[in-house]
Amino acid sequence: MAATTDSGGVAALHRLKSTDPPLYLSPSPDLSHSARLACQHIFASLRPFTPKSPFDRLLADGFDSEQIWQQIDLQSQPLISTLRCEVKFFEKHPEEISKLFLKVSVGKKEGKDGKSEELEGLELDGEKDEGFDELEDGDEGLEGSDDVDDEEEERENEEESDGGGVDGVEDRFLKIRELEEYLEDDEAREYGIKKKEKGDGKVAKESIKEDDDDEDEEDGEDDDGDEEGEEDDDELGVLGLVDGDDEEGGDARYEDFFGGKKKTGSQQKKTRHDSSAGDKQSGDMDFDDKKKENRSTHEKQLEKQRLKIEEMEKANMEVKTWTMQGEVTAAKRPKNSALEVDLDFEHNVRPAPVITEEVTASLEELIQKRILEGRFDDVFRAPTLPNKAPKERKELDENKSNKGLAEVYADEYAQKTGLVSSALTFSDEQKKEASVLFKKLCLKLDALSHFHFTPKPVIEDMTIQANVPALAMEEIAPLAVSDAAMLAPEEVFAGKGDVKEEAELTQAERKRRRANKKRKYKDEYHACDRSFDESSGLNQ
Amino acid sequence: MQSDGGATCMEIEKLASEVNHASLEPRPRFAPLKAHEISDGQIQFRKINVPQHRYTPLKKAWMEIYTPIMDQMGIDIRMNPKARKVELKTRPDTPDASNLQKCADFVSAFMMGFEPKDAVALLRMDELYVDTFEIKDVKTLHGEHLSRAIGRLSGKGGKTRIAIENATKTRIVIADTKIHMLGSFANIKIARSSLCSLILGSPAGKASFSNGLLLLLLLLLRQTATIAALTNESLKGVKQSGTSLLCAT
Repeated sequence: MAATTDSGGVAALHRLKSTDPPLYLSPSPDLSHSARLACQHIFASLRPFTPKSPFDRLLADGFDSEQIWQQIDLQSQPLISTLRCEVKFFEKHPEEISKLFLKVSVGKKEGKDGKSEELEGLELDGEKDEGFDELEDGDEGLEGSDDVDDEEEERENEEESDGGGVDGVEDRFLKIRELEEYLEDDEAREYGIKKKEKGDGKVAKESIKEDDDDEDEEDGEDDDGDEEGEEDDDELGVLGLVDGDDEEGGDARYEDFFGGKKKTGSQQKKTRHDSSAGDKQSGDMDFDDKKKENRSTHEKQLEKQRLKIEEMEKANMEVKTWTMQGEVTAAKRPKNSALEVDLDFEHNVRPAPVITEEVTASLEELIQKRILEGRFDDVFRAPTLPNKAPKERKELDENKSNKGLAEVYADEYAQKTGLVSSALTFSDEQKKEASVLFKKLCLKLDALSHFHFTPKPVIEDMTIQANVPALAMEEIAPLAVSDAAMLAPEEVFAGKGDVKEEAELTQAERKRRRANKKRKYKDEYHACDRSFDESSGLNQ
Repeated sequence: MQSDGGATCMEIEKLASEVNHASLEPRPRFAPLKAHEISDGQIQFRKINVPQHRYTPLKKAWMEIYTPIMDQMGIDIRMNPKARKVELKTRPDTPDASNLQKCADFVSAFMMGFEPKDAVALLRMDELYVDTFEIKDVKTLHGEHLSRAIGRLSGKGGKTRIAIENATKTRIVIADTKIHMLGSFANIKIARSSLCSLILGSPAGKASFSNGLLLLLLLLLRQTATIAALTNESLKGVKQSGTSLLCAT
């Protein structure tokens, strides 16, 4: 059965190989069938090497291409990791190859078993590769993954595998201890770090692996279970990182990393040429990436900081942006740059109110209410306080007098001579006195009773102030002693400097004077008229 | 003549008295001369022309004119319609020589346009005068300006003119371009100045016009008071006010 299937599979492979490439473009059931057969054949042939694979055979009939591929992938992934590991080991220990060949020739079966066990032991998880383009075989297209990665996974596998695992993993070919020593040597060689005990080394590796996990841009197709296992280890690694790295990183210097760039680069290249060289071997990028792979967390942090510091120092040396330059005029900054910057300054004016419908409605309401009430908040000129006694204005009688002129004169004469007792006018002496007394009394009563009492303004009677030195008035002393005149200079002459006589004025100045006089007069006139109107209005 | 005679007589008398004391005659006392005799017994006439626009008013107011002249003044008055003149004639029993002139002034005042009752003041008081001036004396105005000036003078319904009359105790007649004023000398002066200001263009508003007028009146009062004080007339009230005014100034 196996032989027939094998032969069938082989035949299918041959068939596939022989078909022209253009024929693949159009779907044909024949090709599909033969492809499935071929896959199954290869799968079965690889099955012995993957003891952990869940599939005994490839389930291809009635399955989707994606499903088939997933099965293949499940088988091939661990296989590839195993193979890579072996290759590296052989790199390190070429003599083993000869041993292997001998053994193989001697006891093929035994070797096969060992190999299978070895493979089992070295089952690796979670390749972080870019998309494999391999269809069937787990070719040795080893991408840029780390030595450390694999070795760490090895560790995990060691832990995961049960009691029998230890025995199963180690054999004369692979020694875990040797592996560890190798790793430490490698690190010591790269970083100049002292050889550490197993524990620290493990911690460091784990932490480095964690960093790799974090730093890696490409998300690999990790299995969930594997990820969890990794995370646990990573945490341990982080916790232990601080203790470990302080001792380890002390001797690491800038020169170790970037001292003589070319020199170290070449050195790195030499040491790393055995490592997976996939597609990243060309250029300096290659070198940088490899370096990054092997650094500790702390080193990476330092690197980050250094870069940042460099950047900042560079920025400091350069000319600052205009926003940081303090007082900047429009000429010193690029055109329209102030529009792009979010400026913050104090607005001393209240922002204009947003006119919404509610605002308008409220205003209109207010206006209507006020109109109905008649309360307009008009501003009235404050009446000036009188500082002179009000002139007794004699009202001009505009009615034609009935008396003849003779009678008028006769009456006047009679009044003057006192022949006729004139009608009692208000200016009678006793009445005057009485009214003065009453006014004083009223003033006092008002002061007592009014809440808002304002006393009447003091109206000074006219007195004449002679412009004579004060001393002359007060003392009998020679006039030359004191200069203090009674009148202040403003009282002697009040006016602005340029005083012109009537004759000196120009026509324009004359007009201006007249206009000023008229304006002043008009203001007085209209003020008292307006106040009269107001009072009358109020009464109405 | 007679005085000379008197003097000589007196001298002779004096000499004679020195000769014989017993046969002296008392000095002769002569009665004052009558108006009639002053004019040497001749009758004096006055003739006053009656303008056409005053003809009818004269007819209406004849009795008011006639009565005071005939009764109080003792002057004969008659109207000559043919000649359109009012004639005045003294009588032998006319009390005063100046009566005729006063009556003539009275009648001419009436002819100017004054009311009889106003013009009568001329008969009663000596110091009243009638003054006339024309608008063109003050300012040359033509056409509308003239009309406006006249309007300004009289005011609406005559109120400006009446105001001046009341304030200054004068009577004013505005006859086209002629302006007649009747009153005492000082009052006429004030009235004239206010009228002149009106002609010149001052608006007859409340403040400007009345202020000026009243100021002038006050001035007049002071002047009269000072004059009275100086002349020691028996105007007690005025004297007091005048002195107080003097102290104030």
